[in-house]
This record gives sequence, structure tokens and C-alpha cells, in this order.
Amino acid sequence: MSTRREFLQTVGATGAAAAGLGLSTACGGGKKGGDDTKKEAAIPIPAQPILVVINIAGGNDWLNMFVPIEGANAAPYTNNRPTLQIAPTKTTKIETGMGLNNDFTGMADLYKTGRVAFMPGIGMANPNLSHFTAGDLWGQGWVAQDAPLSIRGTGWLGRYSDGVANFGVLQGLTTTNDVPVELRGSTRNFVSITSDRGYVYPAYLRNDNRVGQNNGDPYFGQSQSLEDAFGAAVQASYSDAAMQAVARAGKAFFDAQNTFGGATGQLPARAATVAYPGDDAYPIGRVDGGRLYNGLAGQLKLIAQMIASGLPTSIYYARIGGWDTHSNQLVSHANLQRILGGCLDAFYKDLKNINTSSGNAQDRVMIMGWSEFGRRVKENDGGTDHGTAGLSFCMGRAVKGGVYGDIPSLSALDSNGNMNAVVDFRALYATVLDRWLGQAPSTTNTILGASYPRLGFL
Amino acid sequence: MANLSPIGSWSADDVMHFARRAGFGVRPETATTLAGQSPSTVIDGWVDGTADSTLFNAVMNARADVMWQGADDKDATAAGAVDVAAAAPPHRFLADGADAWRNNFNAAQASWCFRMQHNPNAFQERMALFFHNLFATGASKVDSVALMLNQIQLFRTMSTANFTETLVAVSKDPAMCKWLDSVENSSTYSSTPNENYAREVMELFSLGADNGYTQQDITELARALSGWSYTIAPADWIKDPTYPDNGRPAKGTFVVYQEQTGFTGHRYWWQGLANNGKLYLQHPRNASEANQNKISITFLGQSFDITTTLNSWSPGENALRSITTSRATECSKFLAKRLLTHFVTPNFTDQDRDDVALLIRNNNFNIGATMKALLKSQYFFQNKWALVEGPVSWSVRAARMLSPDLATADSQTPKGFPAWRGLVGNDYDSYIFDNMGQSLLDPTGPNGWKEHVNWINSNTIRYRGRMAAAVALGESIDYYYYNGKNANPQYPKQTVKLFPGEPVDWFPSAPTTAQQVYDRLVLLLQPGPAPASVGTSMINSVFGGVGAAVDVTQSASKNKIRELAYLILCSPAGQVY
Repeated sequence: MSTRREFLQTVGATGAAAAGLGLSTACGGGKKGGDDTKKEAAIPIPAQPILVVINIAGGNDWLNMFVPIEGANAAPYTNNRPTLQIAPTKTTKIETGMGLNNDFTGMADLYKTGRVAFMPGIGMANPNLSHFTAGDLWGQGWVAQDAPLSIRGTGWLGRYSDGVANFGVLQGLTTTNDVPVELRGSTRNFVSITSDRGYVYPAYLRNDNRVGQNNGDPYFGQSQSLEDAFGAAVQASYSDAAMQAVARAGKAFFDAQNTFGGATGQLPARAATVAYPGDDAYPIGRVDGGRLYNGLAGQLKLIAQMIASGLPTSIYYARIGGWDTHSNQLVSHANLQRILGGCLDAFYKDLKNINTSSGNAQDRVMIMGWSEFGRRVKENDGGTDHGTAGLSFCMGRAVKGGVYGDIPSLSALDSNGNMNAVVDFRALYATVLDRWLGQAPSTTNTILGASYPRLGFL
Repeated sequence: MANLSPIGSWSADDVMHFARRAGFGVRPETATTLAGQSPSTVIDGWVDGTADSTLFNAVMNARADVMWQGADDKDATAAGAVDVAAAAPPHRFLADGADAWRNNFNAAQASWCFRMQHNPNAFQERMALFFHNLFATGASKVDSVALMLNQIQLFRTMSTANFTETLVAVSKDPAMCKWLDSVENSSTYSSTPNENYAREVMELFSLGADNGYTQQDITELARALSGWSYTIAPADWIKDPTYPDNGRPAKGTFVVYQEQTGFTGHRYWWQGLANNGKLYLQHPRNASEANQNKISITFLGQSFDITTTLNSWSPGENALRSITTSRATECSKFLAKRLLTHFVTPNFTDQDRDDVALLIRNNNFNIGATMKALLKSQYFFQNKWALVEGPVSWSVRAARMLSPDLATADSQTPKGFPAWRGLVGNDYDSYIFDNMGQSLLDPTGPNGWKEHVNWINSNTIRYRGRMAAAVALGESIDYYYYNGKNANPQYPKQTVKLFPGEPVDWFPSAPTTAQQVYDRLVLLLQPGPAPASVGTSMINSVFGGVGAAVDVTQSASKNKIRELAYLILCSPAGQVY
């Protein structure tokens, strides 16, 4: 684990480089990211890969994102979606029969450069259509029925981190203020970082309120002893399991605040090099008017800032909610796609302008998007209810773009009118663990509890 | 097996445990007094809410005396602005009733926290917090904090009610109708009902996933509840004084919207006014299906005529009510699990859960009677320190211990507490509840918050530290208010403490050594059993030694006392209760 001093040295070097980046990509040397205009072959897996997981929470109605515009699925699609169907003219055809919704901003272009692998029809056996069951199982990476007690409450990325020697406190981060199950291991949890500042202890609500400061008392200035006492409290051993869990989280914060941003508790400032959805300069608005305000853009900008500052993080986690479109889907789902697509597109382009001693960020990053399920094929009155098979995707310079797995038949639905999944979600995890995170296949199989087919996108 | 037989006597320590879990804590002196009375008498009165609330009600009626004035209203020239400093009480609460148009989310959060801190019948607030997690509803979608506060008030009134009645009342609550799309549930066009509420009412509110129902049951119940909606009477539509086209509801009234004969398709309910002054889209109950003899459904193995209004029930209510009878065992187990996780321990066995489920069934799902028995039980008192406390509860309890009581605060200047409004508002880099993992009144999903250790991660611990600083270190904020007189407003500034507690008030008699300070603070803030070395290390860090002399009248000592309280609140042992 790096000390604050070591960390400061790291940030000092890369921080200066990042500050100099601005609009120029000339400095930093090495690779400079991909050409966004033409189809390129996948680059080799980078030496220091970064995984950015994006949880599309609520159940994405991907049939209206990855639209069956031709072929056998086209007729059942339009029949089941009398008011919500997306017309072929509002999509960009990417493969036989499939059109990407034009509201999924930027994604058709990225697909055409070969940077996106789509996995339609990904899911699990016997889904119960619950957000919470599905989300937990996706996070766990192990179906409930056969999960041994020892892995319950842990997730696939948490178990991965358990097995990595000297997995540092900042090696796995989430920009959400919770730590979802996939990021929990048996011996460590990922750290939640929701802002680029304020990582100092004592954690005053207001920085101008430190004890003794307001009344001019010379006593002020013993923050270090407070920090020491807090450090002792979180590093003590507790016989009670709950208190031990709290101590562990407290220690993660303590260690993080000792390293994150150094003495000022702040990362070097970084201005995004491209406009993200919701920014003044971003040209696209909501379909019903107004700006595309959203939380994902802020999370991805923070991740870009953390990468630029040279944090040793290999896994980042972000979330965009609101996909539970039981009603008002025509408006809300289109807006969500504009936000998600626009954010992914902006982030990917922003990364190209980040160079650190570990390489060009666009070369290093793979984005993996997932949602707990797709939605019912037949619409209700203005929306869609819970379904089964979902859509996942991976994008990055090392990704071999394409469609992986068959597309579920809309003519052969289950007894509840839902699609049958064709790819097990753990095949995606197995591929990522093996190929992106460099696990031995046997280790991957242990993390996931069984061997699953590897997909060919990496 | 859970020993549910009642305790016969109790200690002050037991009273503290009880009051933390069934309310938000009492001071040690109060605990000593209550320990002299029989547990049965005290607990019955506590649950029934027999404490004198005259002062509390008076203060709540003079609302702005206890509320922080929202910064967005500080321009006194704006229509509807309240100059708190100048206006005579009763002031406005700025969130509900006549102030519903403001739709001030932070004021709503603050008002509830204030109630939790000061309601002498804290059990009502505790149950409201429990139900807010069980029936988790979020303001961001409901888009009306007045409707949210009405729902919380419903929870207070149902705190000792029969669970079936609560389930029905919640299903008819306007905020819930909006939150889980009951207002959109119509099979008129497509004969496909919106099943959002029907699914969650079983999965999240009464039975639990995979516990006694099928997808077919969900669809059938959705059919039964089709058209459950609400209207807003013109008088309850509160217009923005500056922009009369805009407004918000102060109140919604449940209605089952019946399709008119011969009418097909969506209808605008004439009385329904809504967001931005437009009529609210209401979806009618499907009468065309009734015309096709689809008046009966099969739900959980029973047939129901979903058009009947027998017993003065709403159409479809018979099916909803049957959940707790057709699936009494499953429902009682589900409820037992939730009650145990919130009030007793998450480490219960299946047998413990079944014992409490039986208790619930034996009390015919009466929550008041169940809670009395559970809170009196040996099992309850055997599980001290078994829970990680939720952040709102933890914050409120710290404030109760370290801030003046209501009578004292009400006689101080400035009156009341700017604290909660200052903490939750967006003026002060806070969103502190969000970052502590409990965005009060706005949970992200209907599954609410996972409790116990799930409250804790590196970020929530970080923000608990900030909250602890506000309470224990006596942080203050600059409050600028517009006095309505300055042409070029330089707002007069007041600097006020968020929580106006003084260390001298934390002790029944002045401490003279660091060890005495520590012992008292531990008693007040009740951290769980930590290794002795942790306490010693805290005392040494702050005071230099357990025997260090303390003079509570000196600012150096006061600051050290504050810092020790801060450390105790932040420590791992300070998070369990």
C-alpha cells in the first residue's frame, strides 16, 4: 500500500502531465488513442488495463435500443409494440436485421469503427423478474441455488480482488455512494469515491469550522492526533462481526484519505476535453426539451480525472438509474439512451486525450455495460413490464466489435411472454476475467463457481 | 429459539437500549427514572404514544420558529417569501399545506428530522422511519414533497394499526399511486395491465420474492387494482404566487377511476390538475373487460369479483386484502424478518423468525400489539449492539444526546434549530444524508435501504464523520437573511451553531478528569463494546492521559471534550446500537 508521501510523488509527476494536457495530446508520448473515423482492428490487451463497469439499473428495454428492424423478429416486435415501437427510419442499421436507435447517441458510429461488442439475449436460467433478485445474482456472479455460504454477500469483482496479491485500497473504486455486491469480497470491499475533494480527516462538514479556529484559540492544530486516534480505532480488532465490518470500511476510508489526493485531500483539477451530456456546450437535449442533466456524466468525468491523476485503479464502477420504464417510456427511454450513449461517446473521446506513464487512457480502458434484465416484449399502456434476457456490451480499443450470441426469438417466448436468454451472463464475466483482468482460466472458474464459455470479443 | 417471554424488571442500561431501538434514545437521567417503573407499563405507554406533546405541537404549529429559512426564499421581494426575522409566528413550514407550491424537498427532510429529534412520542417517528423503508417511496418520481409528507403522516397514524389496513392504506396513498404507476394501470388499450405495483406489493411489501405467488398472480392482481388513482381537488392545488400557471398538490384524494360507458381510451379527470398546471393523465379502470364478463379473477388460488364494493371496499380491494389471509404464514414470516432486521438483530435463525411470525399471527397482524410483545421480550434485550444503526437514526440520536431539549431550545435566540435544514440543503456542500447512504424521502428504489452492515462503506463512514463534526464539534454556519429593506441587498449575517449544544450541558456535574469525560460521553453516545485500548488511545490523543485535568469552563477543555465526543461518534463502536 502506498504511503501518502509515495502517492504525492506519483501525483506530482502525472498531475503535472495531466495539467499540461488540456487540449493538447502532444505531450506524454506513446500511443494516442484510436482513429474515431474509420474501422480499425482491435489493439492487443494493454499492459495496465482498466475496466469501467457501468450498471444500467432498472432493466433496460433493449428491444427499443437494439431494434429488430428486419427478419423474423420484426413482425412480432411491431405487433407487440403498437405504441412504443421504434420505426426502422429512426435507427441506424448495423447488422442484418438490427438497427441501433438513433437516440443511443454516438453508438452506431462507434460500432462501425469496430469498437463495440453487443451481447443481446444475455441472462440467466429461471429468472423471477425481480429487479432485486436479478441485480443481486448479476452482482454475485453465482446463481443463488448453488452458492456456497462462503461466497454469499460477495460479488464477482470482489472475489477477483480477494485473489489479487496486494490489491491496493484505491485499486477498485466506485463512484456511487454505495458499494454494490459485485464489489464486495470476503476480505475487502471496493472504496466509494464520490467527489474529487475533501479527503482529509477530521472530516469537517465545513472546512472553515475547525475546532478552535473560530474563536482564535491557539489550541487549534491538533488534527493529526485526532487522525491518529481514528486510525487506531479502525485498525483495532473487534470480536463483533458488525463492528469489524465497520472498522474495515473505516480503515478503507482512512487509507484512502491518506493517499487520495495527498495532503490537500484533493485530486489535481481536470477539465473534460469534450462536452458531456448536460454540459453547456453539449448540442443534444432531451426529447421533451431541456438539458440532458444526469449523474452519469459527473461519474465518468470523475473517473477520467482519477485516471489522469495516475491513481493505481484497475476497476471503476459507475451507475445510471431510471430504466424501469413501466410508464411514459417513449419519452423517458429516449432521454436515457441519449444520456447513456452521449456519455459513453464523450468519455471514450475524452480518454483519448489522457496520457500517463501507464499509457494512453483510451488504449487502457474497456467499458462494460450491463442491466439486470430486458423488458416484456408486449407493451402495457405506455410502458413495459419486467422481462428476462438483457443486453450487455463492451467497448474499447482492444474489443473486437460485433454481435456475440444469437438474438432471442420473439416468436418463441416463455409462458410469461418473455424472451429466453441465449447467453449466460457469467460467460461475459469469464471472458473479462480471463482476457482483460488476466486471470488464469482455472482461477476464473473458481471465482464464478463453474466454467462458462468464453466469448470472442477479446 | 427466540425467547419472547417478557422481561420482569430492567436496568437503566436496558432502558437506554430500548429507547435507542424503539425511538431515538433518551438521556441517562431519563433512563434512570424509567428504570424505576415496570417495563410493561413504560413500553405500553411508549408504543401507545401517551407522552405529553403539548409543547411539541405548539412548536410545530409555529413552524418557521423551528425551521431553517430556505436560501431560495431569502429575496423578500419574491411573492411568497417569508422574512423569518421580521414575521410574527406562526410561520410557514415551506413544504406542505399552503406552502406545497414551494415543493421544497430539503425543508421536508429537515422537518421530519426535527420531528424525530423532538417528538416526545418518538415511537411514531421510529415506526414511520421503519415503514418508509418497507414501503419505500421516492420524492424524485412523486415530484411532490407535500404528498410525500402526507405519506409519512399516514405511517405515523398507522404505527400501531393492523398490517392489512396499513397495506390497503398505502396502496391507496397518492404518493404510492404515482411512485409505482398505479395511476398508469389500465388495460383499456392493450388489455395488458401495468403490473409494477402488483408485483412490488407482494415482492417488497408483504411476501418477499419467490414466496407464495406466481407471475400469473401478479397479472391478476394488477387487473384487480386497475384504475386505482387519485384526484386533486381545486382547493388542494396550490399555485405558485409568482407563476400561477405552476403549482403543486397539497393533497390527493384516492379514487378508483371507472371508465365511462361507451368511452374508450385515456381520459383526463376533470378535477385532476397536475404538474405545470396541466391536467393529470389518469388511466381509467377497464370496464370493457367487465363487459366481456371478466369481472372475476383468480388470485392466490381464490376467485374474486373485482367489481364489488361490498364492505365499503374499493373495487379490487378484496383481492389485495387476501394477501394477508391467503398467505398469512408467508406474510407473517416476511414481516417478522423485516421487524427483526430493523428492531432486534439481523442474525436471527429461521426458528427465531418463525417464532416472531407466530407472534404476529397470534396478534392477528396487529402491529401495535406485536411491537409491544417484541420490545418487551427477553430476545429483544439479549441483542444489544447487534445492529449497525442507520445514518438518519444515528444522526438524530447524536443530536438528542448533545443538543438542548425542545423547551430549552425554544427559549433561545435564534429560536429553534437551523441544523437540519442547514445539513440537508444544497447550500452547504452537504447532501449529507445521500452520502451517508440514506437519502431520506427519496430512496432510489422501492426496495428501500438494505440495513445493518449495508449502511457502511468507506464513503458513508466519511460522511458520518462530517455529521459527527456538525453535532459534536459545534460547527456553525453563516446565515444570511434578507431584511427587505436594503436596495442593494447586503444580507445581514448571523453566525449560528448547527447544533447549539454546549459541553457543559453534557454533564450532570462538572468533570475534573479526562477519564470522567470519556465515561460520560460513552454513556451518552453509547458505543458498543470496543477494546479498552481504543478508548485509551482516544483519551491519550486528545487529553494526553486519562488523568489529565479538565475544566469545563475553559475553552481548551471544551474543545477537547468536543473532540473526544467526535471521535467516539466516528469510531466503529459508535456505529452499532
